[in-house]
Amino acid sequence: MTQISIWRWPTHNGLPPLPAVASVVTVLTAMWLTVSLVEVDVARLVGSLSKMLSFAGNMFVMPDWKYLPQLLVKMLETIEMTFLATAIALFVSLPLGLLAARNATPHVIVYRLVRDLLSLMRAMPELVWALVFVSAVGLGPLPGVMALAFVTVGFMGKFFAESIEVVDHKQVEGVTAHGAGWFQVRIFGMLPQALPDFIGTVMYILDHNLRAATVLGLVGAGGIGYDLVMSMRLFQYDRLLPIAVAIYLVVTLLDRFSDQLRSRIIHGVQAKI
Amino acid sequence: MSIISIKSATKRFPNGFEAIKGITADIAAGSFTVILGPSGAGKSTLLRLMNGLETPTGGSIHITGETLGKSNLRKMRSCVGMVFQQFNLVERLSVVTNVLTGRLAHRSWLGSLLYLFRNEDMEIAQEALARVGLTDKAWNRADKLSGGQQQRVGIARALAQRPKVILADEPVASLDPVSSEEIMMLLREICDRDGITVVVNLHQVDLAKRFADRIIGMNSGRVVFDGTPAELSPLTLQTIYKRDEIKDDTNLNLALAYA
Amino acid sequence: MKPRQTTPSASALPPKPRNLFPVWLAALLALLWLIVHDLEISFETLAYGVADMAEYFSRYSKPEFSELSRYLELMKITLATALWGTVFALVVAFFLAPLAARNLAPYPLAYRAARELLNFMRAMPDLLLALIFVAALGLGPLPGVLALGVHTAGFLGKFFAESLERVDKGVYEGVTSTGANFPQIVMYAGWPSIQREALGYVLYIMDRNVRMASVLGMVGAGGIGLALHDTLRMFNYGQSAALIIVILVTILIIDYASAWLRRRLS
Repeated sequence: MTQISIWRWPTHNGLPPLPAVASVVTVLTAMWLTVSLVEVDVARLVGSLSKMLSFAGNMFVMPDWKYLPQLLVKMLETIEMTFLATAIALFVSLPLGLLAARNATPHVIVYRLVRDLLSLMRAMPELVWALVFVSAVGLGPLPGVMALAFVTVGFMGKFFAESIEVVDHKQVEGVTAHGAGWFQVRIFGMLPQALPDFIGTVMYILDHNLRAATVLGLVGAGGIGYDLVMSMRLFQYDRLLPIAVAIYLVVTLLDRFSDQLRSRIIHGVQAKI
Repeated sequence: MSIISIKSATKRFPNGFEAIKGITADIAAGSFTVILGPSGAGKSTLLRLMNGLETPTGGSIHITGETLGKSNLRKMRSCVGMVFQQFNLVERLSVVTNVLTGRLAHRSWLGSLLYLFRNEDMEIAQEALARVGLTDKAWNRADKLSGGQQQRVGIARALAQRPKVILADEPVASLDPVSSEEIMMLLREICDRDGITVVVNLHQVDLAKRFADRIIGMNSGRVVFDGTPAELSPLTLQTIYKRDEIKDDTNLNLALAYA
Repeated sequence: MKPRQTTPSASALPPKPRNLFPVWLAALLALLWLIVHDLEISFETLAYGVADMAEYFSRYSKPEFSELSRYLELMKITLATALWGTVFALVVAFFLAPLAARNLAPYPLAYRAARELLNFMRAMPDLLLALIFVAALGLGPLPGVLALGVHTAGFLGKFFAESLERVDKGVYEGVTSTGANFPQIVMYAGWPSIQREALGYVLYIMDRNVRMASVLGMVGAGGIGLALHDTLRMFNYGQSAALIIVILVTILIIDYASAWLRRRLS
């Protein structure tokens, strides 16, 4: 006679732990309730598979060689927008970050105001701000740079403020004890400690901004985005593939570069490729 | 019958370092063997060859007569338990779950991936915990225990495998003298009562002398001594602990002081 | 009077190492200047524009909430899209991440392949993916779900893999020594060890997906993005302001919720 084994979880009562069950159930319920909203349709998905394959097939045509110079120009523009916006954001978020740090701010009200301001700045995606700025200053890379910089200040300011808040108190006391003034305490006592951490954040933000910059052109805010969307809309597959490849290459290059840089800073040794 | 057979094993690491320079040894079933030697002698590597955590670059390892290879690793490992210097428990999991990982090789794995175990497994785990005296800590998180207690969980995990052999890699190096004593006594008791073969790496000569049936002395990847604790004289200790490059070997004097 | 004594040269400081920081800073500023020039950004237009902008932003000061219920419906769809996309990403990352962790991957080939796949998924901007999926599936939120899912699976997978790689080798060896196989090692030594970080990453990605979902609507992938695009194009500032407020408030709520959750975890 075979004995039926009873299965159980390694908990006191044999049932799975409550937090795990609760979170899984919550998520699944939320998904169940929104199935129709999201128009999940397995039949449609399966049916579209052939379309996607034919699309992929269409993409692999001879690239439009005449388009390549413009592609390079636009990619360069995208990269330039990224760097410029990030640099501007860096200069702006250094002082703002100081003001938004509980241990460096001149007054609690300033702290609250700047924190909330930063929160608002990063609340919306870059594309939405780009739409607004295009409306304000016209087409071109300028609204794109503005939108990128705006949102980046929101993130950088917050990260920077948090880095400043965890600096070693004793080092700050040391600088203050030598009679340093308000500014000097912050520049010589707090900033040097917060900066190394910050560099990793900047690399990550650069990464993110490059990806964001590639699509801003959708709304006319400069970069490769416009060409990208138009090539899709006009079924110009001979342009779509080179654009996609170019974006992939540039993004991946920056990705690897920032990985290397970050591991060099963390380990302090030559990182092996 | 020897339960572990090491035949002309060598181990050379990719960076060129030769950790094991040709060792042949047989471990008798049910025995308590201590591998003694200075740090860097290759004790850890030798032990790890016995459960496949390292593969020999030459020679072979045989457990219960079968050659240890890629294909039977899981089966072989399930009858060889290991206890580590740093305990190597999963800190976020409970003590019971840690011990239950000892059953993973024995159970069909689909259920185990969902953290499901059979009642028999739970019973074996509880038995193992009782054996090491930690029943009251069963539901605690592993990292909330003291060093000695964590090591006992490690031993319980090995016991849960119902192994034929338990390997212990410097099990007491991170523990205080009292806990070290407890752990060594526990291991000795497991060997005596349950007939499990125990192989322990130690660098403490006094512990080796008190607990071992047989001592294998290692130095620079070779066996330089193989005998009973009684045969361990200051002269033989010198061969085990000598290091040619160092003139005034305080380590040697210290070791001799303990002898 | 004390005779003057010359101090021995041994007390002089060693030569100061060359500080290259000003050089780097100057190079950076020069580069930025070049970029500004190349992009033909004119500070004049910007300066004139600032005054204009004050007037421009004042047009948003009277939000019209006449279509609020429709906007809230759209926001619900956006949130649902973000949820499904995040779950999709989580499932994919759950299976790919252990293969992309150097100390876990069973075969070097699997490791390389998994890493490259995750990189590829990350590199494609979600907007491009959304465009492709809209072309294949038609309009609606489903292409948005897929686009977000595929793209963020790349991020989540990379984050998870990096966390798994940081787990102490000994913890993996402990479970390996019992004879556990690869999936068991991952489930018992891998995921539990990075539990906290992993949840943090998931919340972060969910946050990010809510933002992206509101934008994907602009290419027809459902949600509130399209509405905003239309109202702005028609210079309907009142409605645009209302839409922006709806988006803003929703994102802020999600932000607070996820920050609260993350605090609860630690």
